[in-house]
Amino acid sequence: MKKTLCFILLALTLSHAKEFNAPMKAYMEGLNAEAKATNPNFTGFDAKRGEALFFSKHTGKKGTEMSCVTCHSNDLKKGGQNINTNKPITALAPSVNVTRLTDVAEVEKWLRRNFNDVFAREGTALEKGDVLTYIINQ
Amino acid sequence: MKKILFITALGLSVAFAGSVAPANNAQYQKECASCHFGYQPALLNKASWEKVMTNLSDHFGTDASLGKVESEQILNYLVTNAGSGKITANNTTMQITKSPYFIKEHRKISAKLIEQKEVGSLSNCMACHTTADKGSYSERAIVIPNYGRWE
Repeated sequence: MKKTLCFILLALTLSHAKEFNAPMKAYMEGLNAEAKATNPNFTGFDAKRGEALFFSKHTGKKGTEMSCVTCHSNDLKKGGQNINTNKPITALAPSVNVTRLTDVAEVEKWLRRNFNDVFAREGTALEKGDVLTYIINQ
Repeated sequence: MKKILFITALGLSVAFAGSVAPANNAQYQKECASCHFGYQPALLNKASWEKVMTNLSDHFGTDASLGKVESEQILNYLVTNAGSGKITANNTTMQITKSPYFIKEHRKISAKLIEQKEVGSLSNCMACHTTADKGSYSERAIVIPNYGRWE
């Protein structure tokens, strides 16, 4: 009985686990190595830290206070809106938008642009890995 | 001679008769129109597009940087299809809204209609020009939110 329960639980966990595709996994491994090289005590990316980062406010490139949610909204399963142009942004959550976080070049491009816009600097490997770990689980 | 003049005049007058070739380049749509309306290349002249594409990392205050290859391909598309008619005349800025012809055409629109949230600014073509995405800016297709047809 215990064994069956364990199996069911495992199956449930697996079916809910969000996985990166192979190229994205390789990209995450690269970030992982970079984060470890910067901090020997680094033990892995963390969705909670990524979430905090996603919601944290900063003086952006334009000199105004903003965060990732300024454009992406505070519900990743819903779409957002570009603060400058009002153009709608499709949902970031891979659970509702399967194309998200599937193309390494796109991911790198948007991380570079958006970190610069919100933080007025590029993201570190730790920050990028954390925030991607947060998003992939949405 | 008269005939040549006539043809030239005709050519100039159709250069912007309310419509331009649609922005039908998939790469341009993907890289540029993901954040804003896909302005047709003919709305700016070659010099303006070169200015825009030289400094994408500070694109009207935001980072719109591209890889070198993508940037060159898009610049090529833009300058190949750049405008030369009255819409681009005397405008070498990076903004379509700074074109004297553009300013003249929009001079009667009240600030209230422009600033309302459905529009926001004059750079939001689609807010009123319902067929702007097809390159058509004809007066017949103008519907201003909370105002109605312009014609």
